[in-house]
Amino acid sequence: MRHHARVAVLLQVLASGFAAGAVYGIVAVGHSLVFRLTGVVHFAFGELIALGVFVTLLVAAGSGPVSQTSVGGARFLLALVVGLLVTAAASAGAYFLAIEPYRARGSTIGWVGASLAVAFAVRTLLVVFFDRPAYVFPDPIPFRRLGSEGFWQVGGATIQVRSLFVAAVALALAALGVRLLERTRFGRALEAIAQDFDAAVIVGLPVARLVGLAFALAGIWAGLAAILAAPSAAFDVDAASRYGLYGLLAAAVVWFDARRALVVGIGVGLLQAGVSSAHLAGASIGPPYRDVVPLGLGLLLLAWRSRTTGEALE
Amino acid sequence: MRTAAALRDAGRDALALWRLRTTVGALALGIAAFAPLAASDARAADLAGGLYLAAAAVGLALAAGVAGLPCLAQGAFVAVGAVVSAHLLAHGTPTVLAALAGGTAGVLAGGTVGIAFVRLPPAGFAAATWIVSWLVALALQSLPWLLGGAQGIVVAGGPTPSQQYELALALTALSMLAYTALARAPIGLALAAAREREAAARALGVRTARLRVTVIAAGGGIAGVSGALAVQLAGVGDPASYGPFLSFKLLVVVLVGGGLAAFGAPVGVLVLGALSLAADALGTLEHVAASRAHELLAAIMLLGVVSLGWEGIVRPARRERLGGDSALPQRPETAPLTAVDVGKSFGELAAATDVSLEVEPGRITALVGPNGSGKTTLLRLLAGTLVADTGRIDRAEGGVARTLQSTAVFPSLTPVEHLLVASAARRRRSGFLRSLLATPLARAEEGAFVAEARHVLGQFGLATQADVPAGALPVSDQRLLMLAAAYATGASILLVDEPTAGASTGEARRVIAQLLRLRDQGLGLLVVEHNLGVVRNLADRIIVLDAGRVVADGPPDEVAANERVRAAYLGRQTL
Repeated sequence: MRHHARVAVLLQVLASGFAAGAVYGIVAVGHSLVFRLTGVVHFAFGELIALGVFVTLLVAAGSGPVSQTSVGGARFLLALVVGLLVTAAASAGAYFLAIEPYRARGSTIGWVGASLAVAFAVRTLLVVFFDRPAYVFPDPIPFRRLGSEGFWQVGGATIQVRSLFVAAVALALAALGVRLLERTRFGRALEAIAQDFDAAVIVGLPVARLVGLAFALAGIWAGLAAILAAPSAAFDVDAASRYGLYGLLAAAVVWFDARRALVVGIGVGLLQAGVSSAHLAGASIGPPYRDVVPLGLGLLLLAWRSRTTGEALE
Repeated sequence: MRTAAALRDAGRDALALWRLRTTVGALALGIAAFAPLAASDARAADLAGGLYLAAAAVGLALAAGVAGLPCLAQGAFVAVGAVVSAHLLAHGTPTVLAALAGGTAGVLAGGTVGIAFVRLPPAGFAAATWIVSWLVALALQSLPWLLGGAQGIVVAGGPTPSQQYELALALTALSMLAYTALARAPIGLALAAAREREAAARALGVRTARLRVTVIAAGGGIAGVSGALAVQLAGVGDPASYGPFLSFKLLVVVLVGGGLAAFGAPVGVLVLGALSLAADALGTLEHVAASRAHELLAAIMLLGVVSLGWEGIVRPARRERLGGDSALPQRPETAPLTAVDVGKSFGELAAATDVSLEVEPGRITALVGPNGSGKTTLLRLLAGTLVADTGRIDRAEGGVARTLQSTAVFPSLTPVEHLLVASAARRRRSGFLRSLLATPLARAEEGAFVAEARHVLGQFGLATQADVPAGALPVSDQRLLMLAAAYATGASILLVDEPTAGASTGEARRVIAQLLRLRDQGLGLLVVEHNLGVVRNLADRIIVLDAGRVVADGPPDEVAANERVRAAYLGRQTL
């Protein structure tokens, strides 16, 4: 019996951890994409996710309450497209308005401040317009109809069906992103810009357009992550900020290497789910530590990393 | 008697540095001290809160302004000070002790964050400190044993609001004095140099990581004290007040006010406070909860500053450095620099293989070779910025200095300041505490080194430009300046990378004259040079490098006649 219970817990941790981690992974790939191209850390990524979610909600159902069933299919599809476009535009706009002026001058502290400013501006606007504590985001695909109310009983564990779907789509998306960077002409042009910005300008690449496009792409990325993640639980701006934060953590630990960032993102999700259901000497260390442990561990890894990156300077 | 003399000297120095700005500051402080007479308790408490924010922002200005580090964890340091102090105060510890404990905790937090992440590239440092900010905020929210969870920790009693106000005013004024002392001291100069050209600063012997950790810790200490005192002012340690927004707000205040002047951060707080009051008034009209508007306000303010291309409201004041009258310090014993069988490879590429050479005092050794033959790598190995895979390099500690290939001055520093950065390693009385307190010995040493710097600049023909920002100098003067700076390190061996690259004939002649003069003073020079005409005029000895190996080493005539050299390198040119 105890054995069975353990297997059940393990299955549950794996399923929910993998689903959350896959979303962190997508965000981490987005962070890597932006950093590789511009040397800029996109501090507003989490807030763009929130923007994507709330714009979609607004188009689908106005700013009133939304339930899982109240939104029609066609309108919801339209809402999704609008949400993605708005995040793409916001991301590219933020780059041209706030980040590029400082990046061009080589002022790190300037673009750090500017991208944070974008984050807080978007965040406040969303909080003002969508002022209820949490929102339900309708599921684009009716997983409720599968299993019992969208849950499967496997080996004693209760697994949300959509978590498997989230994990699968996230993996596919991330693979697509990596492929885009490595195999296409667009990707190679971006790589050239990342290697040497000035040389890319001289060679005649339309650098501003390409980088703007990359930021737009990162925005779409954020929107997709949002649509994937949001229906799993009640959604608010803080939840979105945390997706951005964990994505950044995963990407920074492997110094913005897209493939590894995906893996670390999934690892963070698993760790978080593990910590949430962990017991130590009978007492549950559980949920209060679900943020503290992954962040602390990530920072330790980053500190370890800083010992080696320092030599590369000069 | 000695104390009296020291006080008199300090007074004289202070008077010499006294400017209009100082008068304004002192007057403002004097008037501000009487503000509680005219204000209600609630108003005094508000003002005290603003002043604590200003003090923490001045601490951040050390890291973000002087050192140019994108530090996003200052709010976390405030939180650490507040947590320590809240627990102590709740157990009846006196305010002063709690403040000291909070400050100590802030120093430890800042030091830890600094040591852990300061070697990361700036973008990584920003990301890491931002995550630290979140970690602290989330820990305070989710772990009730830290700060009482959602209810917070109640801290009753303590000073009255007007006493709190005076405390906060004193803390802010002291932070600004500390900022000024450190920014002007060798520590601040070295950090400014590293902010503008890190590689060039390192080549002059600036220990960037160590100094940066020092200022982050110092800023953390100020943040800790202000957090510790502010928690008593608020009457409750509330986890919700230490979110990542606090770190962002502090950064906004510094960027908007100006991070390179002591008055910058307080002015930033003033502006933000005034805007918040306006927003509150507007909010009451529009029935919008005002507290939400503050985040937006800070964000918009910063974006405004960005798009207008401002560098902050308060710009740093430029003050001439006054020299003392002491004799020139002694140069260390000259010792040769020797390399024995040194090897270094980057992956497949062997940049140096079995290189053995000696750079002797009183001689100029030229290092020549085709592009990519490993000359610059060899210089970096000899200077110690790269570590060799094999072989041995003997050099006296502080005995070797290097100039960089490109002309790499620190644009906002004056030539005198360049030389002070370079000579800092020879100082004995410019440590953190002595700089902070401006002890008589530290001031005397400063005078002696400024005098030395002016003397050296005179020798290099730069006396008239000694107090102009170096970015405004012509390129030929910048070139000489970096040579003078390398000389000012006190090293007896100088490694000079392409001193005449891109120079006109006249400019090259000036540089050559200086190199010959340095040789005649007994310094040993290793000069990388492409212009073989220059090499011929200059060198006592020539070392030819090809594909990371020494292919010839001897007097110019002998090397010129060497068949291998002709074959490998000199095909089209003759010495």
